[in-house]
Amino acid sequence: MEQPRQGRAAGGTEAAPVVLRTLPGASPTKVSLEQVSFWYGKFKALNEVTLEVPEKRVTALIGPSGCGKSTLLRTLNRMYDLVPGSRAEGRIMLDGEDVIATRNLMELRQRVGMVFQRPISFPMSIRDNVAFAPKLLGWKKKDIEDTIERSLRDAALWEEVKDRLHQPGASLSGGQQQRLAIARCVAVNPQVILMDEPASALDPIATLKIEDLMGRLTENYTIVIVTHNMQQAGRVADYTAFMLMHPEHRYGELVEFAPTVELFQRPKDKRTEDYITGRFG
Amino acid sequence: MTREAFTRELEALRESLLRMAGLVESQIDDALTALRQFDRAGADLVRMNDQAINELFRQLREEIFQVIATQQPVARDLRTLMGVQYIAIELERMGDYAVRIARRTSTLAGLPHGQLRPELSLMGELASQQVRDILDALIEENGARAREVAAKDDEVDRLYNRLFDSLVDDMSGEKDAEDALRTVTLINVAHNLERIGDRVVNVAEDIIFLSTGFVVELD
Repeated sequence: MEQPRQGRAAGGTEAAPVVLRTLPGASPTKVSLEQVSFWYGKFKALNEVTLEVPEKRVTALIGPSGCGKSTLLRTLNRMYDLVPGSRAEGRIMLDGEDVIATRNLMELRQRVGMVFQRPISFPMSIRDNVAFAPKLLGWKKKDIEDTIERSLRDAALWEEVKDRLHQPGASLSGGQQQRLAIARCVAVNPQVILMDEPASALDPIATLKIEDLMGRLTENYTIVIVTHNMQQAGRVADYTAFMLMHPEHRYGELVEFAPTVELFQRPKDKRTEDYITGRFG
Repeated sequence: MTREAFTRELEALRESLLRMAGLVESQIDDALTALRQFDRAGADLVRMNDQAINELFRQLREEIFQVIATQQPVARDLRTLMGVQYIAIELERMGDYAVRIARRTSTLAGLPHGQLRPELSLMGELASQQVRDILDALIEENGARAREVAAKDDEVDRLYNRLFDSLVDDMSGEKDAEDALRTVTLINVAHNLERIGDRVVNVAEDIIFLSTGFVVELD
């Protein structure tokens, strides 16, 4: 089990310009998907998605509703195991380890954390929200204490809550609760953070805070985000994958994957161009 | 098809650009006609007509700014807006060169003159043909054709250099102030024609950007 990491003040270093961040070879592959298909019972929801998620970068999955982007996201930490009758085929390699085949789900979900659309705080104090998973994992008390501050700093929330850690998580605003969810996620030192529409329930200012935070989080974490907001993908993502539902078979498939600046300036596929310019449908 | 209003706005901008291009093309032709005939009235008309181009340019810039601010364009839409803006800047400058040629024509008309030097006439014809060809490439958004037109600028440059040397030679033997003024004015006309050719090359680069999204240097 990975040990708690030492504290690091959020926002300490500037991220490299986005163009440099996406130069070939600038980042090794963190998660490699090979011909990943997915079924909900008899319904095939994803068809043979092949994609390489670069390490310590933000990768956005975009596409219209029903294109399978949230399903794809959920294959990366096997969240689909909760859905009866669902199954994945193909290979998803996380640092060389097969996600689909692994039996150690606890460890997988520690390595691949998730932040959901609605800000959810557990019905307990801010402090206990962050300490929840480390306690479950049996960490030492001192490590847990260190982790609370480090995680809240990583989530750019420490300065706002350091004097009221014992207040209920629910007393925070929506944007703060979402950053609390991120702090809870990073508390167990994940390597990959999955974000499913993390700002769609937030106001514009809270959204910008989350977006700024994502950039800083890539100093330590690999982020995969599903978003309906194309401008958001343009702002935060180093790479973008465009997905679409096959018109006949109705399964989701990957249309184009490229550095975000490339995809938003010169998309190669006409379907991508139609979607990002709003000519779709 | 969604974003119909936005699509109509883009189409209207494209039409305005082509209208501006047509006006500039006429201005250059009219300036050259006035030059060949040492026609002061024709030259005055060219100077007056520049107002219409300037106004169209102003409107275009405002509209582009509004569309960018309200529609958040990306990909081809963004290229179209930026390409239209870039090309409009070049066209407006070409219009200014036509005006400068018209001003020099007024000066020349007041001096003793014979026939316009054939090299200058040829330069004018080449520059005017370049403008026509690049506007055809613009209408078609044809990058390959734009490259061909840009390549022809070398011929205008060569002609300009030859003419420049020849006019300087003329000047060295001139003692009369009017002769010297005429020669300097002709050099200035030639320079403005050469600049029109350079702007055509810039438009060619903009057409390639518009159609491919890649910034190229054709000089």
